[in-house]
Amino acid sequence: MNNTAGIIFSNLNDDNLSRLTVDRTVAAIPFACRYRLVDFNLSNMVNANISNISIVTNRNYRSLKNHIGSGKDWDLARRSGGINVVSPFQNSSSGARLYTGHLEALKSMYDVIADFHEENVVLADCDTIFNIDLRLAISQHEDTSADVTVITARCKETWTSKTPRMLVKTDENSRVIDMLRSDRYNDATPEVSLNVYVFKTTYLRKLLQDSMARNYTGLTRDIMLREYRHARYMTYRYDGYIAYLSSFRDYFNSSMEILINEKARQSLFGLGARPVYTNVHNSSPAVYRDGAKVRDSLIADGCVIEGEVENCILFRNVHVEKGAVVKNSVIFHGGIVGENSNVNCVVADKNVVIGDHRNLSGHFTMPFFIEKNKRV
Amino acid sequence: MYFKKECIAMLLAGGQGSRLYELTQQTAKPAVSFGGKYRIIDFPLSNCINSGIDTVGVLTQYQPLALNEYIGNGAPWDLDRSRGGLSVLPPYQGKKTSDWYKGTANAIYQNINFIKRYNPDYVLILSGDHIYKMDYAKMLSAHKETGAVCTVATITVPMDEASRFGICNTNSDGSIYEFEEKPKNPKNDQASMGIYIFNTDVLIKYLEDDEADESSSNDFGKNIIPNLLKNGEKLYAYGFEGYWKDVGTIKSLWEANMDLIGDKPTLDIGDREFRIYSRNIARAPQFIGSDARVINSMISEGSIIKGVVENSILSGGVTVEEGATVRDSIIMDDVKIGKGAVVSYSIIDSETEIGENVSVGQPKSDGAEICVIAKGSVITDKGVGE
Repeated sequence: MNNTAGIIFSNLNDDNLSRLTVDRTVAAIPFACRYRLVDFNLSNMVNANISNISIVTNRNYRSLKNHIGSGKDWDLARRSGGINVVSPFQNSSSGARLYTGHLEALKSMYDVIADFHEENVVLADCDTIFNIDLRLAISQHEDTSADVTVITARCKETWTSKTPRMLVKTDENSRVIDMLRSDRYNDATPEVSLNVYVFKTTYLRKLLQDSMARNYTGLTRDIMLREYRHARYMTYRYDGYIAYLSSFRDYFNSSMEILINEKARQSLFGLGARPVYTNVHNSSPAVYRDGAKVRDSLIADGCVIEGEVENCILFRNVHVEKGAVVKNSVIFHGGIVGENSNVNCVVADKNVVIGDHRNLSGHFTMPFFIEKNKRV
Repeated sequence: MYFKKECIAMLLAGGQGSRLYELTQQTAKPAVSFGGKYRIIDFPLSNCINSGIDTVGVLTQYQPLALNEYIGNGAPWDLDRSRGGLSVLPPYQGKKTSDWYKGTANAIYQNINFIKRYNPDYVLILSGDHIYKMDYAKMLSAHKETGAVCTVATITVPMDEASRFGICNTNSDGSIYEFEEKPKNPKNDQASMGIYIFNTDVLIKYLEDDEADESSSNDFGKNIIPNLLKNGEKLYAYGFEGYWKDVGTIKSLWEANMDLIGDKPTLDIGDREFRIYSRNIARAPQFIGSDARVINSMISEGSIIKGVVENSILSGGVTVEEGATVRDSIIMDDVKIGKGAVVSYSIIDSETEIGENVSVGQPKSDGAEICVIAKGSVITDKGVGE
């Protein structure tokens, strides 16, 4: 049954979220109270019985390595297959520098791909968050004898970013008839790629050999935008909730959206058959003391709450002290909000300490960011 | 080939815990849930790993399914080892004899071969019935210092409760001259915690003698310890100071849970210097809704709170709907509490459904009894179903 392998690109969108990737990869950005971005596509793969998964790294990957560990939390500490963190590797085809795109990354790990015995490979980025039943996409891929199946969704107005995405037009049988890269997507445009693809392994190998011979460097530009006319490119449409994190504002808006949108939470976490796995820690349950007043918030284990919390995401071991009021904010692991402080529209990275009697406020359109380990 | 260990632990986890009634119908007492995300057995297992003991035999007998599933290969406590680690030891069929574990001493006797494989100098005997954080390494060094063949851990209990325990009467140097199991008129308040360290050779000799004695009830407190004293062996008490609670009754289980909350909790479970480990499963983060009110409580992952929760401990995956109220209660995994329901002074076992507007338990007061709802119950305004 293990007919599919997985490859996750951990770094490729680092620049879009530069404030959060100062010392971690996009894959390791904390999201939704107890997860890192990699958890979502990793869980999508695990829930589709994919058990040979390579995570391609480039730089800044220590935090990601700590998070993944042996892969045990995803049941991927296996004797055969399991999780494989592919560290940067320079060879004759990748040249004397670190790769910058999907294709260069794939070329640099050609030996790994050459060894895959699985017939399909799922390629995924870490900047698009959703909970999909990949088994259905893979079986459609096999049933239609596709070379590539692009996972797509309808465009959404709430995607504020101007980052170009791949747009896909299909015929009535979901076969791709046009592909373009554009930043002008809206409700009227065709489907947008979610940067998750199912490839036939033999086809992927052939593409990589070609691109090494011809020195192609861009997967979409040099290959996919050309190839869809000759090979069999299909789409598989996903209709559930998507968080697309292409900017810091996207990150903040998506965080707030999962607090107010019950359907979004349901779509991400409420699917009993497809849990989202993550590195589990050993914190005690969250403690609410006498002065606690909490509403519309996601709270992780190990938090101690003595003040007021509204519309917030508190990661593990956050302490909100007496009289503090925290609203519309995201506080990463180990944060402390001191007594009688007021905090609004703030994203505080790991281990930020906000002292007593501080007043900090950003705005929904311009959230205030506090870097890791800073004291206010 | 097995590696020699200085000290291994034998954890007696086969007890039924009959005074926990409904909570132990389908589950051995050590697997009863505690403090939201823990089970009682997390405490002795975490104590072992925090004390540097990496070889633990867990003796199971009564309703072992949930317990076995929970402890698995011991990985949550870092006890999945190639040399030593955690071994589950159920009663087994032998060529000549086969029997259930007849008593605490007999259970260890039947596993003498397990002990011998590690050739330990000392054996630590534990039970899975208590909530406490203890560094067994300190007790072991006391055992070595006194030169005792057996050391019994003791704790000070209120004098009026002393007759429920095994009481150690000691000389001024801590050596034990008399051990009284549940005495009517206790001479002091130093109760045995059911934790013993034995020199291995002495333990094996007394277990074999005890097995040969047909009139024995094969119990450490009733037989082994008194026999050691009768033969003039050197026994010492090791006075333990710190939090310790026997959770053998519904009342004491409720109280021990409540010790985790309040402004100054008597049991600090978040202490990172002495961690209590547990098996964690993948659940979504807890969500506190718009009209929720959570006061002086502990809430675990996967719970969704839309109602009022006060002075309570909630395990994972619990749903408290709008307008529902939970007070002074312990709610175990995956319980659903419907709109407008009121739960007071209760222990609700896992996977139970409390229907809309149903009232469970009576408000906490001096005369009130704790209401216990069995696992998997469905309670509607028409009564109790399964």
